[in-house]
Amino acid sequence: MTVVRIESLSKVYGAVRAVDRISVEIGDGEFISLLGPSGCGKTTTLKMIAGFEEASEGAIRFDGADVVRVPAEKRDIGMVFQNYALFPHMTVDQNLAFGLEMRRVPRAEMRSRIDRVLEMVQLSGFSGRYPSQLSGGQQQRVALARALVIEPRILLLDEPLANLDAKLREEMRVFIRDLQRRVGITTVYVTHDQAEAMTMSDRVVVMFGGRIAQVGAPADIYERPQNLDVARFVGQVNLVSGTVTSADGGTLAIDTAFGRAAAPARDGLYPGQAVTLSLRPEAIGLGAPGKAGAPGRVEARYYSGSLIDYRVALDGGETLHVQSFPTVAFAEGDRVSVHAPADRLWLIGAAQ
Amino acid sequence: MSAASAAVAPAPSRLRLGPLVLIAPAAILLAVFLVIPYLNILLMSFRAPGQGTPYGEGFTIANYLRFFSDGFYIRQVANTLWIGFLCTAICLVVGFPVAWQLARGSPRFRAIGYGLVLSPLLVGIVIRSYGWTILLGNNGLINRTLTNIGLIEGPLPLMYNALGIVIALVHVFLPFMILPLMAAIQGVDPSLETAARSLGASRLTAFRRVTLPLCMPGIQAGCILVFVLSLSAYVTPSLIGGLRVKTMAVTVVDALIDTFQWPWGSALALILSVTGALIVVLFARLTRMKWKVART
Repeated sequence: MTVVRIESLSKVYGAVRAVDRISVEIGDGEFISLLGPSGCGKTTTLKMIAGFEEASEGAIRFDGADVVRVPAEKRDIGMVFQNYALFPHMTVDQNLAFGLEMRRVPRAEMRSRIDRVLEMVQLSGFSGRYPSQLSGGQQQRVALARALVIEPRILLLDEPLANLDAKLREEMRVFIRDLQRRVGITTVYVTHDQAEAMTMSDRVVVMFGGRIAQVGAPADIYERPQNLDVARFVGQVNLVSGTVTSADGGTLAIDTAFGRAAAPARDGLYPGQAVTLSLRPEAIGLGAPGKAGAPGRVEARYYSGSLIDYRVALDGGETLHVQSFPTVAFAEGDRVSVHAPADRLWLIGAAQ
Repeated sequence: MSAASAAVAPAPSRLRLGPLVLIAPAAILLAVFLVIPYLNILLMSFRAPGQGTPYGEGFTIANYLRFFSDGFYIRQVANTLWIGFLCTAICLVVGFPVAWQLARGSPRFRAIGYGLVLSPLLVGIVIRSYGWTILLGNNGLINRTLTNIGLIEGPLPLMYNALGIVIALVHVFLPFMILPLMAAIQGVDPSLETAARSLGASRLTAFRRVTLPLCMPGIQAGCILVFVLSLSAYVTPSLIGGLRVKTMAVTVVDALIDTFQWPWGSALALILSVTGALIVVLFARLTRMKWKVART
């Protein structure tokens, strides 16, 4: 299996740096997601790894060897496309055999490998069908099987679930993740869907404007966003204002509407300065009025079965998005007290 | 509201009438001006030759016997088919790259290219053919220029042979090849080639195994169009082929108009049509696309 190292990789179109000196190492068998809004350079990065876009600068190393000059067909990658890109004039069998034929795999071995992979994607009876005779989810699994049957060094997936309906998409997340674990293949997954990136990945690379904003495990990215863009892009977030009150022994004390929060000291932050903190909706607790916390009023309530979303206006003027289990039930117009644990108030930086 | 919903929900029998009404104009046109004349030609081909009249008394298969016992006419059919085959093959090879650029190239090129591709059709057929005689003749522009710059001693035989006919026909039939090809290429998702390459195929292999087979509907349509048009072309072969090389269309017109042998000309016309149709059917069968018919 393969370790992928990307070293200050750039893609320049005229004056635009679509990908701007990004560096990341993807471990053997790791599932990594490139997450970001459209135009952030995630797909361009994937195409450079695949060899369909030429890198302007930098290196892409598969187990140490730079592949930037290696043509796509010699990189030994398996790729799954957003629109599946199945060959419509070939049956499922022929689609899967294509990559094996290119590798001159003997007939008998071809048969057993195709059968094995079709079983893995639960499409054993479908080998004689044409893609037009399959549903979207089945086509998706054929595309996955076609990429896996060649036993590539790296699996690349370009928004593979974007064309599926919501329920199928959630099923396929789990399916792809389980399959990847079983095969143990190094995987790069491109998506703009943060929930998808978080459920599937070992680590997430968040990209904005061609640069990496943050790399980390899903929980890191979600609970400890390094800047405002990441906090806003990954999940729902409340931005809470605060004031630095003291900076002692490498720790900042910050006063907020929810009490005092602490954060490691940071360059450029000093007592008296206004700062912004992030607070996730599900971290906020609602209580009966008069209890500890900031007083407020429920403005709106959205019931979605497993959860209830509230919009709460604090008496101080701020509006919060709060998420709770249905066991905590308030009606619109109810007075509430809003409390947030100090450890879920995460310092983002100086207020802008 | 209720009146409107009544109007859009007609009885089942009226629903089936709709398509019939819509295809009626074309159907009537074809029946009156194609099917009936063809039946007439079929009948005429079995008539006896007349003396001073278009045809004589009774029916006979003499016209067909005459054709099949005379190597001259069989060779002429073969020659016509050969010209048709050459035109089709050359149009395909020359037209494919143009169609590719039109389908995949920049929009600006597409606008210019589209105009250029259609331009041969903007000139009348007679004028265009005369134009070619000026270019291709022994004293024509091409031969004179080549002689003047000393590249050749005597004139190249460009006219009164199959080569001249093929050159002139390819010129005018190219659009009929390029347009269906272009539509077919536009219908092939470029990501399929990318997928093929990700699976280890070189650019050439990806083209040969994926793009080309998927362009087959366009190739089929273009080839059939050009082949049929080449077989039935009259003005260009008669002006450029002259008396030396005659295609079947020219011979048929000679028989009908110059020598007034309606039954003989009808038989020749039918033989040409049937041969052409058989070849088209055979070609369509050979290039049949299983994946096009496959549906759940």
